[in-house]
Order: sequence, then C-alpha cells, then structure tokens
Amino acid sequence: MSEKEEPRVGVYTCHCGGNISDVVRCERVMTALKKLDNVVVSRTDMSMCSDAGQAMVEADIAEYGLNRIVIGACSPSLHEQTFRGTVARAGLNPYLYHHVGIREQNSWVHKDDREGATQKAIRLMAAGIAKARLLDPLEPIRLSAKRHALIIGGGIAGLRAAWDIARRGIQVTLIEKSPFLGGHMAQLESVFPTGEAARGTLHDLIDKVTGHPNVTIHTRAELVGMSGYVGDYQATIRQQSRGIKEGFTGIDKLIENCPLEVPDEFNYGLTKRKAIYTAYPGCYPPTPAVDWENCNKCGDCLKSLNGERGLISLENEPHDFDLTVGAVVVATGFRLYEPAQGEYGYGEFPEVITLAQLIRLLALNGEKELVWNGRTVHNLAFIHCVGSRQIDGINEPQPDGQVNNYCSRVCCTATLHAANELRERFPAINLYDFYEDIRTYGRGHEEYYTEASKNMVRFLRFHDDELPRVTPDPYANGTGALLVTAKDYLTWGQEIDAPVDLVVLATGVMPNPIDDIIKLLKVSPGTDRFLLEVHPKLRPVETAVPGVVLAGTAQGPMNIQESCAAASAAAAKVAVLLGQGRVELEPFVAHVDPDRCDGTGECVTVCAYEDAIILAGVNGATKAVVTPANCAGCGSCVSACPNQAIDLQGWSLSQYEAMLDAIASDSLPVVA
Amino acid sequence: METKPKILILATLSGGYAGADSVGQLHANYPSNAYILPVVCPSMFSESFYLRAFERGIDGILLMYSGTDCPFKGGAERTAQIVNKTFPLMKEKGIDPRRLRLVAICTVCTKPFLKEVNQMNDLLRGIGPVKMEMAHAVIGD
Repeated sequence: MSEKEEPRVGVYTCHCGGNISDVVRCERVMTALKKLDNVVVSRTDMSMCSDAGQAMVEADIAEYGLNRIVIGACSPSLHEQTFRGTVARAGLNPYLYHHVGIREQNSWVHKDDREGATQKAIRLMAAGIAKARLLDPLEPIRLSAKRHALIIGGGIAGLRAAWDIARRGIQVTLIEKSPFLGGHMAQLESVFPTGEAARGTLHDLIDKVTGHPNVTIHTRAELVGMSGYVGDYQATIRQQSRGIKEGFTGIDKLIENCPLEVPDEFNYGLTKRKAIYTAYPGCYPPTPAVDWENCNKCGDCLKSLNGERGLISLENEPHDFDLTVGAVVVATGFRLYEPAQGEYGYGEFPEVITLAQLIRLLALNGEKELVWNGRTVHNLAFIHCVGSRQIDGINEPQPDGQVNNYCSRVCCTATLHAANELRERFPAINLYDFYEDIRTYGRGHEEYYTEASKNMVRFLRFHDDELPRVTPDPYANGTGALLVTAKDYLTWGQEIDAPVDLVVLATGVMPNPIDDIIKLLKVSPGTDRFLLEVHPKLRPVETAVPGVVLAGTAQGPMNIQESCAAASAAAAKVAVLLGQGRVELEPFVAHVDPDRCDGTGECVTVCAYEDAIILAGVNGATKAVVTPANCAGCGSCVSACPNQAIDLQGWSLSQYEAMLDAIASDSLPVVA
Repeated sequence: METKPKILILATLSGGYAGADSVGQLHANYPSNAYILPVVCPSMFSESFYLRAFERGIDGILLMYSGTDCPFKGGAERTAQIVNKTFPLMKEKGIDPRRLRLVAICTVCTKPFLKEVNQMNDLLRGIGPVKMEMAHAVIGD
C-alpha cells in the first residue's frame, strides 16, 4: 500500500435531534476526542446528515486539510453511504470515512445510564479514530452487469415492475409460483379509490407485459438456487409441469371429464373446482393446469379425447434451469390472516366469514337479495382489525408465537367499500360496523367513510381490550343467527347486542411464507416478518443486498395503488443499476502484500471461492494473487496466513487491533 | 468507583450487528460496558487475535456471527474451528475459556442478543478482571 500521509482527522458527534444527545453528553464526547492524537477538528451537530451538517464537514476538509473523517451517529447501515458521499464531494477518497454507530448501539440501549453511555461513546469513537488513522484510499471494483432482471412474483407489483423495467430496454424474467398470473388483485371486483374493475385494469397490464419482447414469463416456477453478486447473479429456477401443453383446444371437455371436486381458492372455498382448472374465465395463461396435489391420475379427463392426447401428461416432471441476472425484484406479496378456530366464532359458526369471502360472495350472488347458506341475509356485522393491531396478552398468539401488532392499512377502506356496495345493491340489509379505529387514510378513501355514514351503516366503536363477542342468538331458535355483543364507546360504553345473519371479519395482511427465498437472497425480515428496506426515506425499496429490491406487499401492507408505486420505484432502481451495463462493488476484498508473502498457499487452501486467490509467479517468486471480482471478502485467508501477508481492504486486521486497543485502553480521557 | 468488566462484541454485519440495530430500535436496555464492533466475518481473526485482546484487558468477547445464515461459504465453520482452537490456548495462559463465546445472532434475534450480553456481564462480574486472572496464572496461584 501507498506511503501514508500524516492523518489529519475530523471527528463529529451527532446529536441526532436528541436521539443521541438526550442520553450521551455529546459536548463531553467532543472535548474528550479533541485530546486524541491526529484529531484536528472535533465538533458536534444537531443533525450531521442534514445539508448543514454535511456542508460543515466539507468546509472543514477544505479549511483544515482533513484527510480522515469519523462521524458518530446512527447505525452505519443508515448513513455510512451518505457520509462517504459527503467526503467524496469534498475531494477525499470516500473510503477515508469511518462511521461509528452510537445510536442503535448506544444511546437507545443505555437510557438509564447517561454516564456509562457517554464513556462508551468516547471509547467507540476513539476506536473509530484509531481505525481511521490506518485507512487507505480504495477504488470500487467495476464489473460488467447483465442487463437482465429476475422478478419473483406475478401479482400486480411484479407485473408493474416487469413492464417498467422491460420498457427501459432491460430483459425481464418473471417467475410466478402459482399456475396463473394476477395474484390477489384478480380476486377483486371493483377497487377503491376509483371504483374501477380490478381484473380489467390487471389484464390491461398483463396484456402489455406478456406482449413485450423483453419479457419472459414462467408460471409454476420458484427460485431454488442463488449465487453470485450484483450484476452477475446465477439463479436456479424450478418449474413444475403444467400437465397440459399450450395449443390444446378441448379445454371445456377436459375439465368436465375430471370427476374430482376440490375447494376453489379463487373464491376462498365458497365454490368447488376440478383438479384440472383455470383460475377464472380469461385468466393468463389461458391453458388450464393440473392440480398435482389433488389429481389422482384416474385418467378420466383423457376419455373421449382423440387427436390431442399427446398434449396432456398426468405426470409432474419438475425441471430446473439456470439464469444469469443482474438484479432481483422480490414481489412475493401477501397472504390474508387466517383467524384462529373460534376467533369471533370463525370456524365454529358457518355464518362467520372473511371480507375476502364476502367480496367473492358479492361477485357470485344474484341481484335480488344476499343469500348465505340458503338463507337471506337481513342483518350483517363487520368486525375490523382481525389479525391486525393485535396486542400481546390480549390476542391469542399465532402458532409461531407472534401477534400482528401492525395496522394492515387496506382493510378499513375495503370494508367500507363493501358496506357501500351492499347498501347500494341490497338496501334492506341492516349493516353494523364494529371498529376500534377507522383509518381511511388515503386520498379519496375518506369519501367511503362519509358515504357509509350517510347511508345508515351503524358504526360501533369497541376498545382493544374489550373485543366484541360472537355467540349464537338465543332467540333465533336454531335458525343459525348470531349475536355480536360489544361495549360501544360512541354511546359511552353501552353494551350492545346486534342480532345478525352474517358476520364479516376484516382480516389483515401478512407476508407470504418465503423463508426459502429469504435464505437464498440473504435479505432480512423485520420482527413483523415483512422484508426490510435499508431506509424508508433515503434508500426506499432497496434491501441491504446489492441488486435485490422490493416491490409491493412483501415489504408491508399496501393497497394496489401503493404496490404499483413501490413496484415502479423498484423498477427505477433496477434500471439505474443495470442501465449502464456495469456495476460498482465495494472494494472490501483480500489484498496481498507481496513483500511479506512467501507463497505458502495457506490462503488458497482455506478460500472457498473459485479463482479468488491463486498462486502465481511474480517477478520470479511464487506469490498469492487475488482476483477482486471473485473474492467475497470474508477474510478467511487473513487468519490462515502465517506471515500476515494478506489482509482485508477496508477491514484490516491492524485496524481491528487498533480499535481493540482503544477500547481496552486505560489512558483514554473518558471521565470528566 | 466500581470498575466494570469490558465486553467486546464482534458482530457480523449480516447477523449480530443487524441484530444490535434491532435491539436499538426496540430501545431495550443492556449494560453499557458492552462495546460492539462490526465485522464482515470473524473467520478473519486467528487465535492470537483473541489472546491479544485478553492480554490488553478485554474481559470477555462475544462473537456474534451469523451461524448457518453466514453469507460466506465456509465462514461459520472456519470461525468455529478457530474458536475451538483458541480455548486450550486460553487455558494455558490461565484465562477462563468462558470469556470467549461464539453465538449465532440473526438480524431480529433481539432476545438472544440481550440474553447473551447479560449472561456474559454476569459471568465477568463473578470471575473478575482478566488481567488479575492472568497475573494469578503467572505466579502460580
């Protein structure tokens, strides 16, 4: 490495608007750090990431000739990149910046120990300064990138992202686990806030996506393998057979011949379908699929088929194929909360259904009257927040021990939308709406509440620790009617009994179970199980894994409008990343000091990456040689080398030793 | 003034350090004498690194790695091997091997994170400073 200039360190302790300074005495940290060797400037600021905070650093670099910058602030995952950019703007190499986490790792976890937190901040930042003294300027690794994106999920978010990416001249492969595109949106009829027909809008997009020359679609396909890095990911896709080849014409006869009947998931079990099926009339692809879970291979479907037999196979033969892509969009979507057995009578009384089922019922039902279980519905109650905003200790935990403490955001407006439709189509039905809070938060959503209020939907407000109870109506004489009992806080806690024929639970939103994908992509879920973006404002829809972005409800509850916005954001990130056909990687890879290396080859033995380190002749001697693009930067070789000749750039052993010494030091000016 | 033991937490960016972020977001409390440094993968540290840390006066080291979720091929296994080779060397120097602990922490493992830090802190308060322990070993106490 190059001859080192004398370090001139600028060190800054961020108040984070009180998030840090309410606990850590930042001025004392600043004063203590001033006494350390090589520290030229030590300051605090209310908000280092603000324009003013960054401008201060830039000005100090220019005025004092600083060549190392250390900032103690939030976790490096939030602002390390921001401040690398700051120092780069001031003309310094961005890798001469070091970030110290003193918020998540200090002020937020030592609230009752201001003195301890202050001393800890001084030590952690002194360690940061110790590392900064040893930093070297680095250059990012520049690699060519495959202009091809993989999208996981064929719902509205995946389709929206596919269209936006493909239009920018980038190849798209979209994989969908189920046999048909469209996801949950296909199961909706009219959607808020515009009242447009869901499948109409969806199919406009499906037609555009499937007709685009840059897009390849694989249904019944899942990600099963992943390696490589941004710009050059190798994905392995496993596709299940469809059973029926494209071009088959005798679809109706084929389905009719199937003797099996299973609950139709498209209608949430309200109807049955065959074991050869299409999702709905007009679905994409139009070719039916064999339901391998339920098909018993009886062969009845093949009867009376003559010429086209060769187009059908009742054996599922999954096949794997590989794909090289530059980026991945995770659009794996959501599932609806399944109420526990007996929760508000669900699974116990047939008259308790979910909002999703009601929406299908309204689509299937005639125009005259609403009929459930052969009986006309005269009284109907909605219950909000089922599986949302749950409280530990009040709500029954799910099988994995978790409660959904978040708001699912879409259910309030969707419930009121359904209530208004009911009122319009079946004006005689009495509608009760049991809620904790109404959150019609979006543009054009409040109108649904106003309309429902105007149209005699009776609102009853319960408290979260006094949930409504659903019991059989003792006066109904076995006709199946139920009683919803709740304390209504709109009438100052009056106990209300509402006799109803149907209870509709507005169930919340949960991410699809995608543990395999999480493992393969190495993305992180939050404690609510939804996937995490790096920062909601600074790096929206980006995950911490370079080249892997999020689209739609995999990231949290969103309505269709928001899913589309997130998907377009994801597409823009992919387009920026792959548009130039090359990417930059962090230069944190192994680096050999040829003067120390005597070619033992220990590093090559221990390295698990192909062609990352080899032994080669350098000026007549055998030396280890690193190919940066193939090095993962784990550092296994560092501990293997008997001569300390190999190190990790940006995270070197000597830097760790220096940090450790600062933490262990007894001579730090930590006490006031 | 009571001197608190010094705990060094070496936490992987993909595991323990992200776990510490989650603990921070929860605003949970743990002892302020636990100093956390991010690492890419602890497989870069050899036995001598840990011994050096104890010699400098670090009383306990928690290696919060990513376990089976380690993003690097062989990184977790190699880390475990090195740690296992370190224990007998610690004993030779009279250092209680419980002062070094390898533990898998995921990005949302907030409860295990807190448990490990508190347990290490309790242990170190019980067995005292590493420097004293090493001095006793030298004089054959």
